[in-house]
Amino acid sequence: MKSLRFTKAKKIAVLFWAILILIPVLLPDSQYEQSLLIVCFLFAIMASGWNILSGLAGYVSLGHSVFLGVGMYTGAILGRETGVFTFYFAPIGMLTAMAFAFLLGSITLRTRSHAFVIITIAILLSVQLIVSNWVELTGGSNGIIFRSPSWARTAGNTPYYYMFLVVLVLTVALVRFIMNARLGAGFISIRDDESKAASIGINTTQYKVIAYCLSAAPYGLVGAIYSQYLGFINPTGSFSILISVYLVLAALVGGKGTLWGPVFGGFFIAFANEASTVFSGGISARVLIMGVVLVFTVMFVPQGLLVSVATMLRKRLAKDKTVEFINQAAIAERDAPLNLNNVKRAPSKAKADSSESILQVKGLYKSFGGVKAVNGVTMDIKRGSITGLIGPNGSGKTTLFNCITGTYGADSGIVIFNGTDITKMQPWTRAHMGMGRTFQITKLFKSMSVLDNLVAPLEKPSARNMLANKMQGEEVERAREILDFMGLSSFEKSNVSALSFGQQKLVEFAQILMLRPDIVMLDEPASGINPTLIERLSKAIKKLNDAGTTFLIVEHNIPLVLGLCDYIHVLSAGEIMVSGTPEEVRNNEAVIEAYLGPDTLLEGLDV
Amino acid sequence: MEIIQVLSYGILLGGLYSLLSSGLALIFGVLDIVNVAQGAFLVSGAFLTWQIWDLTGIEPILLIPVVALLWFGLGIIIYRTLFVRVAPQGPSMTVLLSFGLALIIEGALNLIFGNKFKSVQTSYSLQSYKLGEINFPAPQVIASLAAAVVLVLLYLYLKLSWAGRALRATAQNRDGAALIGISHRKISSFAYGLGMATAGAGGVLISVSYPIYPATHYEWISKLLGIIVLGGMGSIPGAIIGSMLLGIVEAAGNTYAPQWTILFFYGVIILSLLFKPEGLLGARSRKDSV
Repeated sequence: MKSLRFTKAKKIAVLFWAILILIPVLLPDSQYEQSLLIVCFLFAIMASGWNILSGLAGYVSLGHSVFLGVGMYTGAILGRETGVFTFYFAPIGMLTAMAFAFLLGSITLRTRSHAFVIITIAILLSVQLIVSNWVELTGGSNGIIFRSPSWARTAGNTPYYYMFLVVLVLTVALVRFIMNARLGAGFISIRDDESKAASIGINTTQYKVIAYCLSAAPYGLVGAIYSQYLGFINPTGSFSILISVYLVLAALVGGKGTLWGPVFGGFFIAFANEASTVFSGGISARVLIMGVVLVFTVMFVPQGLLVSVATMLRKRLAKDKTVEFINQAAIAERDAPLNLNNVKRAPSKAKADSSESILQVKGLYKSFGGVKAVNGVTMDIKRGSITGLIGPNGSGKTTLFNCITGTYGADSGIVIFNGTDITKMQPWTRAHMGMGRTFQITKLFKSMSVLDNLVAPLEKPSARNMLANKMQGEEVERAREILDFMGLSSFEKSNVSALSFGQQKLVEFAQILMLRPDIVMLDEPASGINPTLIERLSKAIKKLNDAGTTFLIVEHNIPLVLGLCDYIHVLSAGEIMVSGTPEEVRNNEAVIEAYLGPDTLLEGLDV
Repeated sequence: MEIIQVLSYGILLGGLYSLLSSGLALIFGVLDIVNVAQGAFLVSGAFLTWQIWDLTGIEPILLIPVVALLWFGLGIIIYRTLFVRVAPQGPSMTVLLSFGLALIIEGALNLIFGNKFKSVQTSYSLQSYKLGEINFPAPQVIASLAAAVVLVLLYLYLKLSWAGRALRATAQNRDGAALIGISHRKISSFAYGLGMATAGAGGVLISVSYPIYPATHYEWISKLLGIIVLGGMGSIPGAIIGSMLLGIVEAAGNTYAPQWTILFFYGVIILSLLFKPEGLLGARSRKDSV
């Protein structure tokens, strides 16, 4: 069934391209139709490019047409200076647009904030102003006029038609490549949860800048062709905000985040635009209509038309399918083998020497306003140990975790990991060094499948790794093996949000094992999960620890902590109150008091 | 002397921008919505003022409470009918929704008023006050003073009333506020209404000090958004500081290199983002991670 649908989709795609290629051949008198299709191609190219940044990586740009203008003017100026046609400079237009995006992105995409969307509008207006005022270079508001090629009289639009078509094919191929690569998985992980993405080794700043550059590339490429096609360019036309409106609308109507949605949307909006020109005329009416379409789409078909229709069809097809029964108890009891080299680093590093520290925290402070969440913590985690971190709610355990992993910068104090001072390092660098952590409330990428979630982490930040196909090679084999080991293999293709909370906790644990971590930091791994899964979890922890992986565990399930850990730190009001072996901590009166109140006797506790 | 002249122009501009941008900061702070439609609300408020003035000849400043109140009500309706449904999908969809609203308003204004510049002529339109050698154009002074008055009223209201406290509570911790009985839905639409009311009041003020034209909403919104980026997105004090700073930058630009003014304006914003990406008074809050 599935493979049949796949070939069907492929057939439609082939048919689509074939028709577009053959139109000028079969209908030689179709100048008007071709010019209309050129607009379709242009919109589809722009919507697809926008989709890379705003659909996949989730950073909405409202001034993306600035890159079209950059491509147009790059081609135009070079063409004027050299006396040849602007479209020869399309590759240079592309590089210029990418360089411009790189520059802008490096400034505006460093933080995770909404400042970006705002800056994009400002950039469009600023560049328009520069181009209008820099008369010597750009011709100012008078613009630049080009002579038309000698073939224009006989061949008409057809050569342009093919140029635009080639750019469209290239753009779709680029988006397809990105979506299949781990790079694309990284983009989506940023869209779903940026701080989580950083914690699994994704350099979010770098990824966002790459997404911005890649999304600008098709604009620069097509821009240089478009300016020759128009024959005349000026600042207000080339940097019009209306073009941005069209392209955002096209991507949204078709379906952002999908491969074909923006292409479909580009055609749709181009036809709608043509219709509104033919039937109503005025630009005011057109702005109004586009506004109504945008509001309507956001309100009622936020996924886009293509996606909504596909979902409807899939539901209809799935109606008669029987639901598969999954025997969870049997899965939990089964013992799957695990090649330990797949979850830990080269043995030299992981050599268990119990006297050596793997992680040292010295005098760490972190406050939020007046709340001193972490108030001078100093602790030492021995290599190869399972260390517990317990304490009442609000005692600063999670904040301490966040400071160690770099989610927050500490106010003062240092963190040393594997002998390196990591206090000022970014979360992804810490992940690359072998630090993996889970979250109290699981943070999985909710739009991805279980397997996609596992292949998203980036163990090493090499270009080859980023560009590799996410569903091929040894990473996927590793992911499958780890899932099997955790007893999750039957959920491989499920969307993570379909899983129970306990299962999600296991998936997150499995996910960070993909980093081959030296230290695994678990934030309340057992809270809210059932006893069978807790059993599964502690078995996994013990097995990995036997192989040399260090664990630091925040947990409220005291019997589990006492049973599992070699050493325990008790945190209270941001300070370490007691440290010691489970035996010592269990008998410490201050601990008993903090946890159970002053009058409780330990005898009543079943530990 | 020229410097003092530039500074005083800048502060006058900054005063007006303070009011205009604080509504935007308020909406962002409480609702996490980048309200791109704010510029269109502003310009449509100005057109309404122009229309009433054109029909009756009334002193425009007197219309501030009327337009503000009307816009407040409209804001509540817009939030309850449109945003409440889209809000759960997050900021990337609400920004597109408000973009759509801006286009609808621009198109509608174009159809109603035509593509012509309009301006309100008052008795003080061409006057100016003199203090020593320094010149203060009367419309700017009046707009700036009125903006300050509205802003102080807004501040007192947020500080002293129950609704204001509830609003600040929601901005700081939405779930916590819900737990102590603050209806998120009600306070959200209230905040949106309040933000839109400042755009209404601001619209009256720009009608006396600027020529108005539907498509100018793009310039307004990108300026105002720039201001709150500089100040630190959700912070009203940040918006005011950003307004003053950029008001002065704009005045200096107008004096020394008029055709590049807007570039100075955005240049300062981009430079400041280089050094302080979260904005002047913006703090990375705890809810950003966890």
